[in-house]
Amino acid sequence: MTHTPHPQTMLDIQNVTKTYGKFTALKGVSLSAPEGEVFGLLGPNGAGKTTLLRILATLLRPTSGTAALDGYDILRQPEDVRRNVGVVNGGMGLPARLTGREVLRSFAGLYGMNRTQTEARIAELDERLELGRTLDVRAGDYSTGMKQKVVIARAVIQDPPVLILDEAASGLDIFARRTLLDFVLATRAPGRLTLYSTHVMSEAEEVCDRVAILHEGGLLTVGRIPDILSQTGQANLERAFFSLVRGDGVRGGEQRVI
Amino acid sequence: MGCAEVNNVSSSSLRLNMVWRIAARDLLSTLRDRRTLAATILMPLILIPALALGLPLLLGNFIGGQQQQRQTVGVVGTLPLQLRAALERDETADGKIVRAGVTLIPVTDPRQAVQSGDVDAAIQAPAPLPTRAGEKTAAMEVYAKLSSLRAQAGAYGKVQDVVDSYNRTLTLDRLKGLGLGADTLTPVTVKPIDASPPQEQRSGQLAFLIPFLMLQFILSGGMATAIDATAGEKERGTLESLLVSPVRRAEVVTGKLLATTITALLSACFSVLGFIVSGLVATLFLVGRSGLGADVTASMGGQLTLTPGGTLGMLGLAASAALIISAILIAIGIYARSFKEAQTYIAPLTFVIVLPAVMLQFADFLTLNTAVYAVPLFGAMVSILNIVKGAAEPLQILLAILANVIGASLVSLLALRSFGREEVIFRN
Repeated sequence: MTHTPHPQTMLDIQNVTKTYGKFTALKGVSLSAPEGEVFGLLGPNGAGKTTLLRILATLLRPTSGTAALDGYDILRQPEDVRRNVGVVNGGMGLPARLTGREVLRSFAGLYGMNRTQTEARIAELDERLELGRTLDVRAGDYSTGMKQKVVIARAVIQDPPVLILDEAASGLDIFARRTLLDFVLATRAPGRLTLYSTHVMSEAEEVCDRVAILHEGGLLTVGRIPDILSQTGQANLERAFFSLVRGDGVRGGEQRVI
Repeated sequence: MGCAEVNNVSSSSLRLNMVWRIAARDLLSTLRDRRTLAATILMPLILIPALALGLPLLLGNFIGGQQQQRQTVGVVGTLPLQLRAALERDETADGKIVRAGVTLIPVTDPRQAVQSGDVDAAIQAPAPLPTRAGEKTAAMEVYAKLSSLRAQAGAYGKVQDVVDSYNRTLTLDRLKGLGLGADTLTPVTVKPIDASPPQEQRSGQLAFLIPFLMLQFILSGGMATAIDATAGEKERGTLESLLVSPVRRAEVVTGKLLATTITALLSACFSVLGFIVSGLVATLFLVGRSGLGADVTASMGGQLTLTPGGTLGMLGLAASAALIISAILIAIGIYARSFKEAQTYIAPLTFVIVLPAVMLQFADFLTLNTAVYAVPLFGAMVSILNIVKGAAEPLQILLAILANVIGASLVSLLALRSFGREEVIFRN
């Protein structure tokens, strides 16, 4: 697969299956998303969201199928994928004895950024994520909110066109959560794509342009939130989700693009 | 979970700047940990002089001290006046007491007197004890805590020495009456001459501890960094963020191996420095000292010194041992879910080092052929012992270093494979 700068389709997942022994975590999932979107991946714990996102981040290898991010194939061009993707999940931490600034400088080096670029980017992220004095405090002394802000800054230090957020707001207080959601909303821009995975439907309603709902490794539906609400006849995404899982909204839980 | 390999494991070519960035990150984290710094730098600097010099000095001073102290010896029965006087008499040289006599006090139950601590030893003297050679021999019972080094070096040893001297005096008197001299007792004498090289003479009986201590410090020095850089990263959730950056797995493994080896080597360097400090301090302490205490100190290794060539060989062996131990630590650490679990897995490694090191005590009984030096780690231990004794062959040192490097390469490949396996990386 050859790379086309700023392709219209930034995410292209083709029939991805992942099995662990006899357990099938993902059942032939296919999805696509264009640039300029915040694309939600919704579902309860164990739905397969994290597995899918780890496959996209090249941390896991699909049992079958493949995917491309920003035009790079995850199996054939994994290093290019990683260079163009920033990943945050709820379980990510920071080296306790390093300051936030040291962590950011260290990762900027891994992306080949020079000193001037690094310091300029750190200053920009300091302003956008309201890092302040957090930058010069050792990570071992961070609160959950401070830690998650620096984790996000670390993930986007190279200003990647694709951002993957997997339960990134998990455990955050109201202020840190607000900062995160505002940051996500600001990524909705041409040439960019944010994949936002959560099991909190209200978060998805606020930030996502379109969502895909996963359940037990299968894709239940993909579409714009108002369309999903309209099709299921529900007032909010949480009720729509239950309706889809029970099969009220979509026959037999089969995949449906709205 | 299956045995799926994570993407891009095959991209194993190394970009040195990436390797160094990974290593620098782990090193910075290690250098900010006071406990690790203490284990890496302070412990070798304190413990090695303490064991290499302090222990011999302590033993020397203890045994010398017992000789110069006056102990109390209980007596049941009557001792010949000449023997009694010999027991109580101090031996002096240049106006100084080199061996003090004992104070004799009457007791009724010699065993109970020793057990209660009222006396250091007790003599049960049958009556009468011979006062000239040729009379009927008699057995004098001497009660003491015979397993006690204090008794052996003190009261019991002195009683034994004085009785031997008393017997010799009686025998010589009898021989003199017959017109024979003292040399009648020793028609042939043995004059021992130590043919071992001067450095081996200086290395002493505790030399086998040196390779053990060096490898132990390499292990403890590298352990914190290795566990923190593998299982610790998993536990904190920082490994995943590293693996989603454009760095290659081989660079991650090599970077972590480099950081661990540098820390382990730092510990090894400080342990070598500890030996050099021991040698310098020994020179200061032992110059002008004489007597039994100084002799014991010397025999236990209190005069240990290293030549520049020996120091270089020691550093080469330490560096290669640090490399293989670091590779083992990284390969084990990445399997563990948490820091504590990694410590549990790694703890038995100490025995891998301790057991061969204990065998080195009996190195004199072993026939060491060249193949021994090709055994990773053990070959290095034997070579370090040889350097300490001044008996090292450069080829054997090189073989031991090569064995360690080959072993480290194989274990590193195993670690690289582990870093590429989903079930290992996401085991937590």
